[in-house]
Amino acid sequence: MNRRRRNRELNEELEAHLRMAERDRLDRGQSPDDAHFDALAEFGNKGLVQEVTRDMWGWTSVERLLQDFRYGARMLRRNPGFTIVVVLTLALGIGANTAIYSVIHAALAPLGMPNADRVVMVWTENAKRNWHQFPASVPDYRDWQSSGVFSSLAGVSDGGFNLRLADRTERIDGMSVTPEFFPAVAVAPHLGRAFLPEEGRAGHDQVAILSDALWRSHFAANPNIVGSTIVVDGVSRAIVGILPPSFPKFEKEELYTPLVFTADVAADRGSRFFQVVGRLRDGITLAAAQQRVAGIERRLSKQYQEDTGHSVALQPAEEAVVEDARALLALLFGAVGFVLLIACANIANLLLARGTSRQKEMALRAALGAGRWRLCRQLLSESVLLALIGGAVAVVPSLLAMRFVTSFGIDELRNANLIALNSSVLVFNLALSFATGILFGLVPAWQAWKTNVGDTMREASRSYTGGTQHRLRGLFVIAEVALTMVLLVGAGLMLRSFAHLRSANPGYDVTNVLTMRVALSDQQYAAPEKQAAFFERVTREASALPGVATASAIQDLPGSDNMHGSGLLRPDRPNPRPEDIRIELTDCVMPGYFDAMRIPLVRGRYINQADTSSSTPVVVIDEYTARVNWPNEDPVGKQLKFGTKKAPRRIVGIVGNVDQGILVKLLKGQIGQAYTPASQVPSPAMTLVLRTKLDPSSLIPAMRALVRNIDIDQPVFEVQTLESIRATSRAPQQLATSLLGSFAALALLLAAIGIYGVIAYAVGQRTREFGVRISLGANRLDVLRLVVRQGIVFTSIGMLAGLAGAFALTRLMSSLLSGVAATDPLTFAAGAALLAAAALTACLIPAFRATRVDPVVALRCE
Amino acid sequence: MPTKDRYQNRVELLQGTLDMLILKTLQWGPQHGYGIIQAIRVSSSDVLQVETGSLYPALHRLERQGWLASEWKQTDSNQRAKFYRLTPAGRKQLASEHQRWTMLSAAIAGIMSPQKEQS
Repeated sequence: MNRRRRNRELNEELEAHLRMAERDRLDRGQSPDDAHFDALAEFGNKGLVQEVTRDMWGWTSVERLLQDFRYGARMLRRNPGFTIVVVLTLALGIGANTAIYSVIHAALAPLGMPNADRVVMVWTENAKRNWHQFPASVPDYRDWQSSGVFSSLAGVSDGGFNLRLADRTERIDGMSVTPEFFPAVAVAPHLGRAFLPEEGRAGHDQVAILSDALWRSHFAANPNIVGSTIVVDGVSRAIVGILPPSFPKFEKEELYTPLVFTADVAADRGSRFFQVVGRLRDGITLAAAQQRVAGIERRLSKQYQEDTGHSVALQPAEEAVVEDARALLALLFGAVGFVLLIACANIANLLLARGTSRQKEMALRAALGAGRWRLCRQLLSESVLLALIGGAVAVVPSLLAMRFVTSFGIDELRNANLIALNSSVLVFNLALSFATGILFGLVPAWQAWKTNVGDTMREASRSYTGGTQHRLRGLFVIAEVALTMVLLVGAGLMLRSFAHLRSANPGYDVTNVLTMRVALSDQQYAAPEKQAAFFERVTREASALPGVATASAIQDLPGSDNMHGSGLLRPDRPNPRPEDIRIELTDCVMPGYFDAMRIPLVRGRYINQADTSSSTPVVVIDEYTARVNWPNEDPVGKQLKFGTKKAPRRIVGIVGNVDQGILVKLLKGQIGQAYTPASQVPSPAMTLVLRTKLDPSSLIPAMRALVRNIDIDQPVFEVQTLESIRATSRAPQQLATSLLGSFAALALLLAAIGIYGVIAYAVGQRTREFGVRISLGANRLDVLRLVVRQGIVFTSIGMLAGLAGAFALTRLMSSLLSGVAATDPLTFAAGAALLAAAALTACLIPAFRATRVDPVVALRCE
Repeated sequence: MPTKDRYQNRVELLQGTLDMLILKTLQWGPQHGYGIIQAIRVSSSDVLQVETGSLYPALHRLERQGWLASEWKQTDSNQRAKFYRLTPAGRKQLASEHQRWTMLSAAIAGIMSPQKEQS
């Protein structure tokens, strides 16, 4: 406002006062000099009068705060070294927190459904068969639907579609949903309409709905597209709706088609292939709904053999979509929180040391009438100013960290595109900076509060050491060491489990293998023979490409998210009870698959060209299956079958085990794997596997062209080398390892600096004492021991507390570990050793300085 | 700067009275700060010496409360100064403070010299 003018006016008013007083004195006959000085003396301190008068203008608290900040800024400018160290420490601490917050903010972004807490996933559970969040069968779904608990209950099945464009066909992530899906989500298309009830029935289902992003990227956001036709999986579908940009995304889906149940699956309780999501009817609580549906499932589990032992779990959809990311996010957030706390402890320590030297300044201000509150506020303002500067600088490291995190492309972290420095992240940064400033600013403020004017002034010439303050500094160091210990153990565990994942032999050779997926559309390739013929032609032509050593295909690569399990039965034994049947992963493969992957043959033979649709049904099993099911026999030549009603297959070979990926490892430890010939059990979707003699990626264009020439409607997608697939599957662990590792390194550095600071300070304080000791004949080693002992006490207490904390906290991250226990003693010991070494080094530097104290100098300097 | 709390305390101590004295002084016409101090000193026979550190905060506060208004004018000796004058609200305030003061001083006088009442 016109604050400046008012100030000028006030100044003028007081100047006028002075001049009038001077003139009166002149008129009374005083000399000009006397008149001037008397008038000034009578007036008093003009600056002060100005200030107290300004206080009457109101809103001075803001101005006073600005004043405090201005004064703080002056103090910070006067100590550039201190300021830079603190600002950089804070920038790293706050930057890491800001970046992780933006990741969490994006990953936990709500789905954006009205009354989202009413939308639930309905999962099948079976503790005995180790089923968790299992998909549903159509009859189960219909029974749940009739429970009266849901206002809409939808079946959804995610996957991909082949979308034909003008010049090519592209694979688009999509979802098939029953018409109940859109009412359940309760977000309407912003153009056109949702699916009609009859569009969920065969023959009426040739419709599609596009996401906003797909509409913009592939259809130029043309509003007239609604009503026109696109070709999806070789079938024409009418676009009936375009979804708003805010439409909730469960996975990466961009294209929606109706989910239609064929007559045979609709009658089969054992066929579980889709997920169920529903909206609770108004007025029913989640708990009541859970109870009702569980009651139905109890009845079903008694009535049908396929449902034996099943129960049902209702889970809020919002919770379901973030579940996978939770452990990783909690780990990262905990780690950055610790780093910031350590940084705070360090800065508080620096401020304590500096506060001691500023004691006289504070005492002087107190003597001049500044209240305790005023002094505390002044110091807090300085701290907050420091933190705010740190927070502003933190933007740079946080942006780098965000880019680093997104570069991993982790599926579990949804909405990676939302990871950015948006307004809510900035607000977080600001709030965190402020809180951080208050947190570490409390220490010097408390110190000022305790300032006793008389004592300090009396000790004017001697430096003042408070026992409490030294104890407090020790306490900070202990806390730092403890936090660092936890971080080191956490990082060590991640490192070990990552090393385990990396070095673990997957059972196949990942070098020089190119993979790509082709998913034939059901409509064009409905006949199994046509599917088999297509892939035979592709692999035959691919084998002839220059640079290709072996070309083959498998239904799904090991470690893929798609898993096909079947119960393994021995025709020569009676069928066990349903819950005792062992699940076996089954995949169909083309001849040459084992060669291409270099999976070793243990006994018997591989699947080859002689296995055709008309020859004996055969199967190849892995060593694990052989060992578990035929413990003391040779399974080659024996028979097995997958499912009670299926025909028996003859085991012709045993091959080496392959790594089935983290998912299986976490759920089951290990499952057997069986391979059937694709000629006998064709699959419409296969992953081509090409062992190459050249750089595998150089063959990508030729392969794309090859498939396009055979059928332009069948795009290849997920084109990756086997090496990069392996790397991607480890991405969350790799991210956690590298972030946690750098956080732990940062913490270690900060803790070492903290220890160094405290010990160095203590040595400085005791210089005189050491001088006396040495002059009285103390051995230099004694002095060294004296100093180091103090450091060791702090470090040991901190480490013990840290180890206890780590023991309690690391089990929370066990879902991210593999091949190493959350309480792995070796990691704990290694972390402790590393920390002890760093702490000892930090102590030794000032300790050696103490031994070099010259007694004469030390005694004289006081 | 830090010593200002000391002034504030004194202002508080005198507050009601100083306000009344200022309002009363301005009853005779607009006056600037220096003039007010002089007027109070003269009319109190040099007993009351109002300090600038008390006067100016009081003037600015009274102005903010709407009891005074101010304008810049030339003095007789051609010095530009800020003159304060009573507003109608200030006049009312003066009347009520005056009344309160009369009651208060009579009461205090009664306590301080009780013999008079008995006689």
